[in-house]
Amino acid sequence: MKKLLLTASAVTLLASASLAPAKAEYLQEHRGGTMRLLARSAAGTLDPHINYTDQGWQMYQPIYDGLVAFRKAEGMDGFTIVPDLAEALPEVSNDGKTFTFKLRKGVMFSTGQEVGVKDVVASFQRIFKVSGPTSGTFYAGIVGADKCLADTKSCTLEGGVVGDEAAGTVTINIVKPDAEFLYKLALPHAVTLPADTPAEDAGSVPIPSTGPYMISAFDPNKGMTVSRNPHYKQWSAEAQPDGYPDVVQYDFGLSEEAAVTAIQNGEADWMFDALPSDRLAELGTKYKDQLHIAPLSAWWYAPLNTRLAPFDNVKARQAVAFAIDRNTLVKLFGGKVLASPVCQVLPPDFPGHVDYCPYTKNPGAKWSAPDLEKAKQLVEESGTKGQKVTIIVEDTAVSRSIGVYLQSVLTSIGYVADVKPISANIQFTYIQNTNNKVQMSVTQWYKDYPAASDFLHILFGCASFREGSDASINIAGFCDAKIDEKMQKALDLGVTDQVAADAMWAEIDREVTDQAPAVGLFTPKRLDFVSKRLGNFQFNRQFNWMITQSWVQ
Amino acid sequence: MIYAILRRFGQMLFVMFGISVIVFLIFFATPGSDPAARIAGRNASPEVLEAVRHSFGFDRPLYVQYGLMMQKIFVTGDLTSFVNRGWKVVPAVLDAIPVTLSLVFGAAILWVVVSVIIGIVAAATRDSWLDKLLMALGLIGISMPVYWLGEVMNLITQSRYHDTWLFSWVPPLGYKPLMSDPKGWFLTLVIPWITLAVLYIGIYGRVLRAAIIESMQEDFIRTARAKGLSETRILLRHALRTSLIAFVTLFGLDFGALVGGSALLTEVVFGLNGIGKLTYDAMQNLDLPMIMATVMYASMFVVIANAVVDFVYILLDPRVRTS
Repeated sequence: MKKLLLTASAVTLLASASLAPAKAEYLQEHRGGTMRLLARSAAGTLDPHINYTDQGWQMYQPIYDGLVAFRKAEGMDGFTIVPDLAEALPEVSNDGKTFTFKLRKGVMFSTGQEVGVKDVVASFQRIFKVSGPTSGTFYAGIVGADKCLADTKSCTLEGGVVGDEAAGTVTINIVKPDAEFLYKLALPHAVTLPADTPAEDAGSVPIPSTGPYMISAFDPNKGMTVSRNPHYKQWSAEAQPDGYPDVVQYDFGLSEEAAVTAIQNGEADWMFDALPSDRLAELGTKYKDQLHIAPLSAWWYAPLNTRLAPFDNVKARQAVAFAIDRNTLVKLFGGKVLASPVCQVLPPDFPGHVDYCPYTKNPGAKWSAPDLEKAKQLVEESGTKGQKVTIIVEDTAVSRSIGVYLQSVLTSIGYVADVKPISANIQFTYIQNTNNKVQMSVTQWYKDYPAASDFLHILFGCASFREGSDASINIAGFCDAKIDEKMQKALDLGVTDQVAADAMWAEIDREVTDQAPAVGLFTPKRLDFVSKRLGNFQFNRQFNWMITQSWVQ
Repeated sequence: MIYAILRRFGQMLFVMFGISVIVFLIFFATPGSDPAARIAGRNASPEVLEAVRHSFGFDRPLYVQYGLMMQKIFVTGDLTSFVNRGWKVVPAVLDAIPVTLSLVFGAAILWVVVSVIIGIVAAATRDSWLDKLLMALGLIGISMPVYWLGEVMNLITQSRYHDTWLFSWVPPLGYKPLMSDPKGWFLTLVIPWITLAVLYIGIYGRVLRAAIIESMQEDFIRTARAKGLSETRILLRHALRTSLIAFVTLFGLDFGALVGGSALLTEVVFGLNGIGKLTYDAMQNLDLPMIMATVMYASMFVVIANAVVDFVYILLDPRVRTS
């Protein structure tokens, strides 16, 4: 039976491959119309150098371009870097410290001006001038960045980003080799904007763009209109393909419940916010064809403060990791379709991920069941039995239920546990600040780009821990000199040998997991609900659904 | 008269000052609310954090920050949001007023007309089955929370029975401007009006009934009867008029609060981008400038509405005029 099915599907696959019209034909047939998207609220500033939200980044994809881009392709192919405003991937010289990009000719901003070397150079300076959120991390390795960070106004990045108008090249020098540098350049924070863009947060004023679309109207209380850039001509289908709809109308304000109903009624095509769990059953049965499930590179985890009792004791931390029933958590999150259990840091099919789970009944590759006996024994050994633990969670329905469940687990292994839900708007910053003495919390981390360091180095590196600051992303306060050194080595190794580096990250993943500064709970999946008329849904692993690659007519 | 206006004005300033200080202090006293960290984004480096802190002036003493914020709201009008940066909050509030006014005015007309009718009918038919039925209905109306009723209304009109003849006229949720699309404006607001009015119809109907019944026992009613006036005339011209005083007091307070943003839940449920929704979103994002602007606007409105109520007393009640 299985075999039969397989051949049948292979035949249909072959048939569809030979029958599938070329993209050009599709474009003719389906081009045009207005696509209506919904979100609870706007995503903050429109400035691509500053906006640091999934919602903003997804919408920028058909609008702005950098020197390089993540490929606009389905699935894991979306993790590949392709040349965008540059003609080709850069020439790397000087032991991996110099990148030379040759700029493509004839690419226009939506104002009709051609993209030139000066725009690229000015854009890099602007990242620092506007104090971009990642200017001190992702781009701090550019030569001259230290001066720019110290005095943002006079930033020139001298010797760091050098333009040659005559040759049409831009050369970027970095202080030390960085295997992830091209990923960083492909993020919206490094897109090229016109050189005369004011060196301050543009806020709600759209900045001219290079892609097939531009933002033509915006009101944070109403919505955003994205329309075609009249000066766009396709230069690379991989980096910046033309889109189908003429207009994307992104409306803000409807609640999640109302948005689901609007999509059911065909009044809207897609919603950004997570689907309300009480509607899932209805959607799963009646609107199955309009649902799309895709894995995310993310994890839900419970940081354990390694600087406060009882979790300053590694056995106490491991006990918690053993005791938690991930299946229960998956159920609380919405079931197997929406999440899968994990116990390590790196998410499935992420670079450096090798299945590893020491915290289960039969330790091995995958999690199977909690081991309460082992957990209780570890608590006994750690001598922390009977201590008080407060778990800080967001006050959303899901987080609260997870918190209450964790409370019951902690109680069952001998702690006096308490759960405190606080406003989702302040929880993430609250749990970071050491002044708040948070012992345990529940939070999430989504990748910026596909590299192991984006989880391990950022969340558990010594440099990410800052005492008394609301911006201290190493929530567990975990700092192990040996592991930190290894992370540096892996980062350096990646420059010459990414495969070996990923193997090293897999080791680091194991070592961090063994130390249990945080307990992995589950990997969430993205559930997209689209209207009946929407066609050609494609999910890109880097920036999620490619909005303008779908059609509405 | 001028003295009365000045006194009201002084009162308003005092209320607004008090509220703004409280809002400001609560914001900064909340742990995890460091606006610089929120603006700088996740995993911001200490240098960036400092640069943001400095450029937004968060490194200055609180009273200076407070003064600057008040200046930006009331003098220069260019206070911008912390979340949707560059978005000026004062124009945003002004922009949202027509939406809230449309919602509250329509609902107010509905609830005043219906509750006056209910109040009079119930008082006139006191203790009959009709009176009891109306009061029971009023109680049900009061007991239904507006967010629940709104969601149920949405479920019925937008989802479950949307495609039937009964509700196919109901347009998608969201506001349509009166000037450019009067028909759309009216249709989108019908369900929100009813939803918001139900609670107040219940309260006002009961209050008015009680007030009429009470004033029917007053001396001046007996005098009117002695003069040989008809029972209808006594009820409508004499009893109702004095009974309206309590009604108007309530109305002034409720109307002021609603226009000031208390229609928040109705606006959120129906996707109307008015003052209430602005306030709600600002709270959700901990957007201090927007919270401040909406709260200032609301307190101003409540005080003004009270002043108007006092003035209406004078028109309604001869006793107030002479004293």
